[in-house]
Amino acid sequence: MLADDGYLVERLRTGDDTAFEELVNHHAGPLLAVTRRILRNEEEARDAVQETFVAAFRGISAFQSESRVSTWLHRIAVNCALMKLRIRVRREADVDALLPHFRPDGHQDHSSVSWSESAEEILQREQSCALVRQCIDQLPEPYRVVLVLRDIEQLPADVVAEKLQITRDNLKVKLHRARQALRTLLDPHMRGAAL
Amino acid sequence: MSSVSCIELIAFLDAYVDDELDSETRGDFDRHLLVCPSCRAYLATYKETIDLARGAAEREEDLAHDAPPELIEAVLTSKSRRPKS
Repeated sequence: MLADDGYLVERLRTGDDTAFEELVNHHAGPLLAVTRRILRNEEEARDAVQETFVAAFRGISAFQSESRVSTWLHRIAVNCALMKLRIRVRREADVDALLPHFRPDGHQDHSSVSWSESAEEILQREQSCALVRQCIDQLPEPYRVVLVLRDIEQLPADVVAEKLQITRDNLKVKLHRARQALRTLLDPHMRGAAL
Repeated sequence: MSSVSCIELIAFLDAYVDDELDSETRGDFDRHLLVCPSCRAYLATYKETIDLARGAAEREEDLAHDAPPELIEAVLTSKSRRPKS
């Protein structure tokens, strides 16, 4: 736990209202970005942030002193968002059209080519970042969520499988397909790059 | 001659990227990649896709650092409505 976190948590535990205000002012923005990313619905994302702080306030006595406050809040926010998402994720979705296709001899149907710029170069431009986010949003819901939780939020596989109530093997398959589908969506834009 | 086809390599590309293959299979994959420019490009762009997804989200988080004032207000109000335990 960071020194600042320790002092803040102590004040929260004593019911210090200004400490709660500091917590909200400092963390609400980043948490809203997380819940927006998972839910893609502004109203639900804001509700999830609100529920996060209520849960945090109620659970402050259970806060583990070896954790960071931001990590702890992030975990609660992901949980709150997933509670709203669960029904949507259970629906199956077809992603086959976005997966690579192969000839009978096992070769790729269309040869892949490298992209003209590195990810680092592409990410320098906000317009390109926006395009990447748009492509992520185009993924069928169960695949988008798996990609967001594993590759973006970087939650452990066991945790994501449990939260989504799917097996670890199923999660692995979904993540691989999600990455392939996103690659397919990005490919026509990234071949020429300089967006 | 490579003993792995493009379809096999791409089906298990996540295991290759995450270093989950046994050494013999990894060797087969490496030999295929040496002779197949299309799979080399696919591997490079697959890895770049992961980096782009993560990087674009981080940029979004940087830009959205301030929450809307009405959300802050709603959170603070909901807390003050709660009876103190």
